[in-house]
Amino acid sequence: MKITTTQWVVSLSILAALVVPGVAAAQQYPEQPITYTIPFDPGGISDTTARFQEPHLEEILGTDVNVSHRPGGGGAVAWSQFQSGAEPTGYEMIGVNIPHIIAQPIMRNNAGYETDNWEIVSFYHFTPTALIVSEDSPFETLDELVAFAQENPGVVTLAGSGSYSGSHLDVLRLEREAGIDLTYVPFSGTGPLPAALQGNHVSGLLDYTMLGVQMEDTGRVLAVSSEERVPALPDVPTFREQGYDIVGGAYRGVAVPKGTPDEVITKLEDAFAETNERITEQQEPLGFVMTNITGEEADEIIGELETAYQPILEDVQEE
Amino acid sequence: MIVRLNTDLAAGILGLAFAALLWLPREEMGRLSIVFPRAMIILTVLVALALVVKAFVKPAERQIEIEGSPLRLVIAIAILFAWWYAIGLIGFLMATAIAFFGFTWFLARIEMSVSARRLIMWVPIMALLIGVFYVAFTEVLSVRLPTGSIWS
Amino acid sequence: MEMFFQALMSILTFEGLLTILVGVTAGLFIGSLPGLTATMALAVLLPFTFTMSPLQGLMALGAVYMGSIYGGAFTAILINTPGTPSSIATTFDGYPMARQGKAYEALVAATIASVVGGIVGVAFLLLLAPPLARLAVVFGPAEMFWVAMLGLTLVASLSSGSLLKGLLGGCFGILLSTIGVSPVGGETRFNFGIPALQGGIELIVALIGLFVVPEVLSMASQGRGALPESGKLEGGVGIAFRKMSRHIFGKPVNLIRSCIIGQIIAIIPGAGGNVTSLVAYNEAKRFSGKPDSFGKGNVDGVVASESSNNVMVAGSMVPLLTLGIPGAPADAIILGVLLMHGLRPGIDLFTETGVLTNGFVLSMGFAALFLLPVGLLGGRLIHRVVVKTPFYFMLPSIVMVTILGTYALRNSFLDVGLMLLLGTIGYFLRLIGIRAAPIVLGLILGIIAENGYVQTMLISIADPIPWLGLVENPLSKVLVALVLLSAATSLLPSWLERSGRMAKTTPDENPDRVNPKEEGKP
Repeated sequence: MKITTTQWVVSLSILAALVVPGVAAAQQYPEQPITYTIPFDPGGISDTTARFQEPHLEEILGTDVNVSHRPGGGGAVAWSQFQSGAEPTGYEMIGVNIPHIIAQPIMRNNAGYETDNWEIVSFYHFTPTALIVSEDSPFETLDELVAFAQENPGVVTLAGSGSYSGSHLDVLRLEREAGIDLTYVPFSGTGPLPAALQGNHVSGLLDYTMLGVQMEDTGRVLAVSSEERVPALPDVPTFREQGYDIVGGAYRGVAVPKGTPDEVITKLEDAFAETNERITEQQEPLGFVMTNITGEEADEIIGELETAYQPILEDVQEE
Repeated sequence: MIVRLNTDLAAGILGLAFAALLWLPREEMGRLSIVFPRAMIILTVLVALALVVKAFVKPAERQIEIEGSPLRLVIAIAILFAWWYAIGLIGFLMATAIAFFGFTWFLARIEMSVSARRLIMWVPIMALLIGVFYVAFTEVLSVRLPTGSIWS
Repeated sequence: MEMFFQALMSILTFEGLLTILVGVTAGLFIGSLPGLTATMALAVLLPFTFTMSPLQGLMALGAVYMGSIYGGAFTAILINTPGTPSSIATTFDGYPMARQGKAYEALVAATIASVVGGIVGVAFLLLLAPPLARLAVVFGPAEMFWVAMLGLTLVASLSSGSLLKGLLGGCFGILLSTIGVSPVGGETRFNFGIPALQGGIELIVALIGLFVVPEVLSMASQGRGALPESGKLEGGVGIAFRKMSRHIFGKPVNLIRSCIIGQIIAIIPGAGGNVTSLVAYNEAKRFSGKPDSFGKGNVDGVVASESSNNVMVAGSMVPLLTLGIPGAPADAIILGVLLMHGLRPGIDLFTETGVLTNGFVLSMGFAALFLLPVGLLGGRLIHRVVVKTPFYFMLPSIVMVTILGTYALRNSFLDVGLMLLLGTIGYFLRLIGIRAAPIVLGLILGIIAENGYVQTMLISIADPIPWLGLVENPLSKVLVALVLLSAATSLLPSWLERSGRMAKTTPDENPDRVNPKEEGKP
């Protein structure tokens, strides 16, 4: 019966540990493991970045950081759950992406969350989009593509990942800026895009710069949507340089629930800033642009992009 | 237990019901989003109608057989959903401890009378089983299991 | 070549072999738990590989991948639950074999098939990667639509009762796949006001629900365990191994055909392992001398399924390593790891950084070899546990693991409820002759078909008749012909048979349950 007693004790203590919730005070933050929810599938860019960050965050904060996934609905499932259920203790944080958090609440009748119903800790990444055509494409420059599209409305097909994503919105903006008519073909994620281009199923890709870097040997990058040229693609001009005012793409960041104590947010901000510095060397060659946008600045960016995207999205909705 | 039921007719009606469920609450949707589901709903209706016709012309089986005890079936279904509901309420560990014990007791009674001594003997075995899986999922796979809504 | 041997030498160290052994074993256990897929196994083990050297890390991941795809066969055979979607077809004959007391034979056959499949896949990858990769890009949206249609002709052989009911099941599956956010257009569909339904019905949630729950419910109502207690080993590992290898290698046509099918489907981006085993199973049945014996415990069905899905492991690396196109879901993680180590997919991968690449590929081959001892011993252990455990412990344990696995998939409590709901409905659907397999097939292929169809419509939006885009390319035309051929060859015989011999087919309406007479044995 000795084993029985031990097992009892073990199971009871497991029970007890679970039943009594952690009553942690903010002063000694962090005292328990932090859950870092990624609203996308494992293996995606958000996930790989979180895994880069994880060990550094753990070291800086001195506690465990557990990356967990809650994919679905292009992030909306996790975000709606987070806004309705997460505790503002600083032990729950979630990855947030622009333009998703701006576009989804506008486009869906019930996305289940609001664009600004949380505190943004930091936008640590900015990923511009890149316009890529295959090596044997007739288009040598962006102007050639635009000229062709002007004469043949709808014939130029550009593929990207997802609907109302960074790629989709930049295609819509290119249409407006150049006064042309393109056809955007959404694919499920970045994975199938190289094949679509190499098999000549679409005329070009408009997706994140990482793909441009990855496809350097097999494709030609015509433009990138950042303000300045991307370090990993130094020879590629920006849209702006070529006369189209398109600066955009995706921001990746992290948020905590509204009402989280300021000290906690500051601590997390610092941790992410420090982490960013440490992983820059590995991340920049992949095509990311490292940023550290925090506090009011983050809200401003959301506000700016919201006003930029709103008319475009409403146009689409009316069609 | 054997229930008289024209299975073709049942399947057909079920198909029609499911199609109606998806057809009726049609919100405003872009052509791109609705074209495929609508085509599939129509296909479902066609297949279901074919089954209904077949049910009268050349029915396959007119009876279904629930093997074993229907009462136990209903109770088992109830246990599964209660287990799920309890996890949300009182957390994974406690809900599973109770549901596991109850389910085992319920099943064991089919074969034998369960003495109190046997019930006590099960406790360490179950604690070990649940504990091993709990630790494997929370610690090794770092899955954050529900801790229950009534505690907070 | 030099790099090849250099890579071989670095694997053939104590550390290298140990890494692979541990990886295979870990993968096997994760893969055998319903809900924990190969993708999840890789994601979980990813952080551990950061502490290793690049080659060792890649070796570990290759081994885990191989192990987890194989692990799915265990639960498929023993409790009728595919541990990963790629072993759905293994349940069709593996579980009936188990119910007849031949569980260990089925496990041994699955092991041998997996080992051969794994090694064949590696051989294809090393020898034929560049030409095969060229094939991968030919599959555009229109072709994918027809691939999905080709897959749907499988309904005919999966429904194994009434064809109409099978079709209805397929339609149910496709409709379930449309719940959530539309892939093209990005709008929410059929979410009935529940924000969490934006995520749709995940394939694995439906898979677990439709396969496990009905089985659990029928075991509970009948008061019996998964396997007959008489299902003991006869003569131990050696005899079963000899018997099964004689059977498999005696007529290797089935094995060869399944391996080739596995490789072809593996390079079609997006189709992935979920379909390979179903197609291989279907063809094994079609070309078999006695197609009637399939679904009732024909070991050839297990061999076809398990060999083809293990070919897929290395096979899907062909488009991944040469073009950066992930062929199966789990490949996306491998791609991430490659990029992290500065390996850019391309033909150069085999020359410039050849030691790493070759090492990675070879480690999958060794992992496949290790499946043999690990699988035979582990299989014996798990088999004994399943047979010896009284059913009143077995059932609650199955339910607990299922709940955990479903929850862990997306950290979603709603998914667990959906799983139970679908499963309960699935039980009653099975009673009226609508089986789980066509529904799951519809769920897998519905997404592929919709994407292909709507994307094609978009691409040819400027053409006068857009839907002609579906049959524009030569490959599309070939696929259309294949669809028609496949439909004709699988539908006609079953129709003829049914109209001619109604009485004979009725007892086989539900091959999931073994004849009551056999079961009544003491």
